[in-house]
Amino acid sequence: MELNREAAAKRGASGSDIISQALASNRLGVPSVVFFAVAGAAPLTVIIGAVTTVYAVVGNTALPLVYLVVAAILSIFTVGFVAMSRHIVNSGAFYSYISHGLGRELGVAAAFVALPAYALMQIGLFGLFGVVASSILAGMGLVVPWVICALVAWGLIAILGMLWVDLSGKVLGVLLIAEIAVVLIYDLVMVANPRDGEVSVATLNPAQLLTPEVVAMMVIAIGGFAGFEATVVLSEEAKDPKRTISRATHISVLVAGLMCAVSAWAMSVGAGPGRIVADAQREETNLVFSLVGPHVPDVMITIGYLLFMTSIFAALLAFHAAVSRYQFALGRERMLPSRWGYTHPRTGAPVVGSITQSVLAFVAILAYWFTGADPLVELFGYLTVVGGLGVLILMWGTSAAVIAFFVQHPRLENVWRGRVTPIIAFFLLSIILFATVVGLGDILGLSPDSIFNWAFAAGYAVLALLGAGWAAIVRFTKPDVYAVIGRGVERRTVFEFPEPPRPHSHAMAFQSEQYSTTTSSGRESR
Amino acid sequence: MLADQYYLIAHEDRTGRSRLHPRATGLGLAAALLAELVLEGRIGVNDGDLLVLDRRPTRDALNHDILDLLNAQPQHRDIRTWLAFLSQDSALRVAERLMRVGAVELVTRRRMLGTTQTLYMPNTARQRNAAAWASTRVANMLVRGMDLNVGDRMLVGLVVATGLTRHVMYGFEDYPHIYHALPSMIASLPGDLRELVECTEALVGSALAVGRR
Repeated sequence: MELNREAAAKRGASGSDIISQALASNRLGVPSVVFFAVAGAAPLTVIIGAVTTVYAVVGNTALPLVYLVVAAILSIFTVGFVAMSRHIVNSGAFYSYISHGLGRELGVAAAFVALPAYALMQIGLFGLFGVVASSILAGMGLVVPWVICALVAWGLIAILGMLWVDLSGKVLGVLLIAEIAVVLIYDLVMVANPRDGEVSVATLNPAQLLTPEVVAMMVIAIGGFAGFEATVVLSEEAKDPKRTISRATHISVLVAGLMCAVSAWAMSVGAGPGRIVADAQREETNLVFSLVGPHVPDVMITIGYLLFMTSIFAALLAFHAAVSRYQFALGRERMLPSRWGYTHPRTGAPVVGSITQSVLAFVAILAYWFTGADPLVELFGYLTVVGGLGVLILMWGTSAAVIAFFVQHPRLENVWRGRVTPIIAFFLLSIILFATVVGLGDILGLSPDSIFNWAFAAGYAVLALLGAGWAAIVRFTKPDVYAVIGRGVERRTVFEFPEPPRPHSHAMAFQSEQYSTTTSSGRESR
Repeated sequence: MLADQYYLIAHEDRTGRSRLHPRATGLGLAAALLAELVLEGRIGVNDGDLLVLDRRPTRDALNHDILDLLNAQPQHRDIRTWLAFLSQDSALRVAERLMRVGAVELVTRRRMLGTTQTLYMPNTARQRNAAAWASTRVANMLVRGMDLNVGDRMLVGLVVATGLTRHVMYGFEDYPHIYHALPSMIASLPGDLRELVECTEALVGSALAVGRR
């Protein structure tokens, strides 16, 4: 019998592993995970929206290098991050890593930072979408204010979010490939037609990295990588959770970083390194199209505009899903009221989280419209930078959590992955974070005495304290809830309700009043 | 049988569509099939692992098939792997079993654009009554506070874990004490089955959070 079992084990291990094959056939490989992550970051949105905005607002030409440096830092960070993801099975996000490494209090604090950060980024993108769509319509002779375009997009996102429509399948893949193709073609055209008559590499001069604005640009650049956290969310769905996710995360960081860097450089060549800042300030998001326009057929420009719009829309949807998913995860772990953990039975949509985000976005769009604020700078620019700061805080916290995790479990990984890279990543991210918090007012172009110079960082600090305090309260009032924070799939208790003594058969119809009151109070206290 | 009952609760008796996200239904059915083997004394669950206790074939063909696979692939013991694996085609296989006992029929519908859809659904009045009874029976027993046997308590556990509670309790909203009885009912299950319920709930949650089909 024992021999038989061993023989069977050998046979199964070497030859036909029916289970693994069947499971793998329905799971994601490296390309799908990369698509999911890069599409969430929406390369065309970053290149046409963010790169031009940085040139215009910060006015420094070191941008291509900044993207390369950020990609390098994030690659170092990714080494330790995915090494840790191999050891905690959880389809959660950054906050579950922090709760594993640094304790549950800080994990909840991170979640309370993550939620507004992603929510702000999504709301900011509505501003970009509104402006781009209304300028495209203006080009066709229709005068539509940006707020109408933004609200149409808002309506579509709200409906798709409720239906939990997942564009991350083939549609997103096709759009992404088209986007990348367009970016590469535009880059080639810009490099082939330099304004100054020669291809200049002046913007790649490393000496520029010593200028003070560089750190400011880094936080905006990090915002462009915001989607790569999404890869580990898919670890339960990957063919080989250990290798697929690791490779896909590295690839998506590199792909996004290289594309942004090359495009930023190509733009500076196309416009001429001396004039790129002035051009960017004049043309805003049309910069790339105006540079490429004279050299390609009109249809290429039209395709570019359409893809730019679909790219922003895909990013909106991806961020909407990310925010709803965060709220769902928190509701499920009962850090938010338990109704946030409710999903629509048939579609599986996290309905309450989706509605919450839609309502917030609606209020924000209308508020910007009523106050007449500039949707491109004050809605898109400010909110995505502030959101980027939140994402940066998350990454910084996660890099610390990775160090702590491997200090507690020293034998899991080798010294390079478990010690060296996490410490380097933590050190570099600390510098960027410190400089960002100090220089946030300059990035946003605020006057030195404005309270917003420090209000956003302070706001995140307050939220983090609230989160940590809430977790500390839960630790003593509801130890069973505290025990599962950030543990996701690993260990969960099914028991939703407090356990009353079981009533005896027929007496219950009369007691229903009493029970209903206990039920409602029991729910409210969560 | 347990999975049959769960199938009838989890699908609409009139249209044959799944009431839940297809992945949630699949996981619920997979757990029900494993629970059948536990109830037959063939396998046990301990700390996230499946153990084969008795390799003799079962009476039911589908159970036998799964047990055989468990014997043939001893390198996989993780209960989550097996739930994920079985959930891929559990709906189809349970439907075929239901068809063999005459509880559902194969219905082919023409849809738009010339595609056809194959459904296993109760087709006669008698079959529909039997299908509707599956959830009413459970609700009825809960409302009356009757003692449920292990199989029915497991059924209730899977209903709660996959999110069908509201459907089963539809029309019995005036009896909130039922909801109070659910946790203790699940807690009173044997350890193997309780672990199976908890695992199912966790997997359903993560499948829904990712939102892939």
